[in-house]
Amino acid sequence: MKKKYAMAYIVDRCVDCKACMVACKAEWEVPEDKFRTHIDTGVSPDYTDTMRMHFLPHQCNHCDDAPCVTVCPTKASYKREDGIVSVNQKICVGCKYCIVSCPYDARFFNHELGVAEKCTFCLPRIAEGLAPACVTTCPGNVRVFGDINDPNSEISALLRDAATNHYKVWKLRQDLGTRPNIYYIQK
Amino acid sequence: MVFQEAFEWYIAVYLFLAGVGAGAIVAAVLADMYDREKYLSFIKAASVIGMPLVSIGIFFLYIDLGQGMWKPWLLLLLFVNPTSAISWGTGILTLFTIFSMLYAVYNLGLSRYFRFAGGWLPRLLDGMGGSGWMRWMLVITGICTAGYTAVLLGVLRAIPFWHQTALPILFIISATSTGISGAMIVRELAFRTEDSMHKIETTHFYLIVLEILLLAGMFFIAMQGVPEMQFSAKSLLNGRFAIEFWVVLVFLGLLVPAVVFALGESGRLHLKGGKLIFFEALVLLGGYFLRFLIVHAGVYTQKFTDYIQ
Ligand code: SF4
Ligand code: SF4
Repeated sequence: MKKKYAMAYIVDRCVDCKACMVACKAEWEVPEDKFRTHIDTGVSPDYTDTMRMHFLPHQCNHCDDAPCVTVCPTKASYKREDGIVSVNQKICVGCKYCIVSCPYDARFFNHELGVAEKCTFCLPRIAEGLAPACVTTCPGNVRVFGDINDPNSEISALLRDAATNHYKVWKLRQDLGTRPNIYYIQK
Repeated sequence: MVFQEAFEWYIAVYLFLAGVGAGAIVAAVLADMYDREKYLSFIKAASVIGMPLVSIGIFFLYIDLGQGMWKPWLLLLLFVNPTSAISWGTGILTLFTIFSMLYAVYNLGLSRYFRFAGGWLPRLLDGMGGSGWMRWMLVITGICTAGYTAVLLGVLRAIPFWHQTALPILFIISATSTGISGAMIVRELAFRTEDSMHKIETTHFYLIVLEILLLAGMFFIAMQGVPEMQFSAKSLLNGRFAIEFWVVLVFLGLLVPAVVFALGESGRLHLKGGKLIFFEALVLLGGYFLRFLIVHAGVYTQKFTDYIQ
């Protein structure tokens, strides 16, 4: 069966240490003021006794129905067989249309190269059998990466486990029809 | 809430100039179909700015492209993705540019400069530029050009404030209105005749009124919309863009011209010369700020921590 790469975050393990952001930046020489992955912070429910802080990692969702791919005039943004949404920097004209089309604000403009840029699930690393840099670095084991079409992968096991234990599992803004491939799990 | 920052003023200039160029030609062709003799000075003036402004607009898009200067051959690839609004726009703009060039050659009598190879070229150019189907093609591609500049933004679900049907209608009306202003200024400067432009002035007045109503309607609806849409609307009404919105767009760009043109309508004011140019320039200023503000007020769909219960 074809591979389909996906990532899950076990969000209640995240402590906002931002090691993933740093690891990603160091690995890929991301421009100084930009990041390919972020940690959002939020407070909920607002102004109550049970109020608590949440940390929510996010990055490119490698959407199955990716607006960034639909709108790219040159077909520089494309969806690979293995599910990864990639940018061919050789033919990216730098129109930034994909950047405004992404509901997850996952892309940015690389001013040095003049092209759009985003998370690639560490393509060169996974080709060598390594995990993405953020996954390797995360001290809390928040991030689980793998092939969801392989029932023996760690991510498949995690999602099965989450289903049997009725953990809360969701994806971001599914209402937009982008069919993202990042799973959020709250135990 | 996060404002989009990928599209900046270059894009606003592109949307604006493409709108003015297309609007001027659409207005001119309609006047041409109505009474060519009477509106000839207006038609000529519009022909002077139509194609050039669209081209200058495209140039702004070009310098905004990260690779425009380094790898110009990539521009050919702008045509290749049928699902991309940029690809549709590239096609529409290319057609419109060619048609409006032929129309300008015909209106301005430039075909005589192509008198070589036995003189067939001027006849061909004039035949095409002056033909009835060319007028229809200009109306269609002109409206598509003006509307496309909003469809470009409107197809993006990621930014709710742009993702609305009213936007193309607003942009087409604004393009026609600013197009008339541009042509009126050029006419006043270069082609002035004593012919009355009354019908065009009346149309212009109603276009501005329509634009004000549509803009107001858009804001009433946006204020009931999803939180991101409300945030965008508020950033214009009383947030970070409020001064530009109220002073430049609403007051100088719409209300002042509307009042002045209303006075003109009722016969209490006769605008010409410097005064006319000044008020038409205000309409152009408003047209630019309309694009600028709508582009900058774009806010991405809500940040995600809000979705944790
Ligand atoms: S998250 Fe954004 S950049 Fe990534 S695939 Fe989806 S739309 Fe494209
Ligand atoms: S910036 Fe590059 S990848 Fe993005 S839409 Fe434009 S050409 Fe495609």
